[in-house]
Amino acid sequence: MKIAFTATGEGWDALIDPRFGRTDYILIYDEEKDELVSIDNREIMDVAHGAGPKTAQKIHELDPQVLITGNGPGGNAASILKQMQLKIYIKASGMSVRDAYRSFKNNKLILGG
Amino acid sequence: MKEIVIISGKGGTGKTSFCAALAQHLQDDLVVADCDVDAADLHLIFEPHNSLATDFYSGVLAHIDPLRCIDCGICAEKCRFDAISNASGQYTVDAVDCEGCGYCYHLCPENAISLKEQMVGQYMSSETRFECTLVHARLRVGADNSGKLVAKVKAIAKDTAKDQGKSYLIVDGSPGIGCPVIASLSGADYVILVTEASQSGVSDLRRIWELVKMFQIPGALIINKADINPTVTKQLHSFAKKEKILLLPEISYSDDFPKAISMGQSILETNPARWQPVISEIWKAIKERI
Repeated sequence: MKIAFTATGEGWDALIDPRFGRTDYILIYDEEKDELVSIDNREIMDVAHGAGPKTAQKIHELDPQVLITGNGPGGNAASILKQMQLKIYIKASGMSVRDAYRSFKNNKLILGG
Repeated sequence: MKEIVIISGKGGTGKTSFCAALAQHLQDDLVVADCDVDAADLHLIFEPHNSLATDFYSGVLAHIDPLRCIDCGICAEKCRFDAISNASGQYTVDAVDCEGCGYCYHLCPENAISLKEQMVGQYMSSETRFECTLVHARLRVGADNSGKLVAKVKAIAKDTAKDQGKSYLIVDGSPGIGCPVIASLSGADYVILVTEASQSGVSDLRRIWELVKMFQIPGALIINKADINPTVTKQLHSFAKKEKILLLPEISYSDDFPKAISMGQSILETNPARWQPVISEIWKAIKERI
């Protein structure tokens, strides 16, 4: 299973970014490969409008089965993500990516949307 | 550090007045971000000084190189905003009409058109006559606010609050429900909604609450001018109850609001006896929940 995180930095100790569209990084953990990949999303700072749909498109291309984030995607982003078989967990702001992953494994995260 | 966003959906409800009063009430334990950049007015009360300003670039404008232009007129013919003409004998772009879509740039057979980034204003971090830092922005005439600018203002305010070891970031949010508002809300811990007892007050509150709900941020509601239409105030009560929005003390219509703004004061300065207890009560209720 592939799990995506919105994060403020790279690696397991990075904190979950509460923002979806304007998240600084997208982290993808591939459980089968046991591999964490960081995708720099900071170019989104230069996008004046429509940050949500742009990041949603990136998530779509990365094709994870689970997304762990903070506030959750807005309306336009949500309508794109709905096209995918994606479970979105929210309110993980303030956790490290490692803790968020553990909480997810222990069914302690809140399912959004 | 907790981030509290004040939004209204509708204009003229008293959002900025409450924002200024709360900021003054919290004295020096906060940083304030004015994300209502289209109609920024917190600076009228805060009197920012010693500002550190940075130019802000956003969007592009088409520019035709007269040396490469062969006067084919394709750009002028295809521009959907009628922003290109050769009235002067040469094809030029009207800076006001150009939306920066880039269509002409792609069509020009001579690659004579370039897209230049526009300096649309400045964002700045300022000291104020209160004890807190204010992060705000000034847009040039005709430039519009964007999620990009709000995200920038908020990021600086957040960093400032962390560096200064402050407990709170108070954000005066943008109006409406579009991109700037989403950027205002994104990452917030708590939302204070300010509305008034009018039909548009109700419908704009419903719209903005749909958005807040999407981000799962808890919220509290101030009903301002509650006495001007008791029927609507009742509707607002039942809406808040149904949606589990905390009801903060109701406010009756008061001349203190326009008076304070016209004098460049917060309502706490214009009429402290009347407003100090109200703002204290509001803050107490919110503090318990964040």
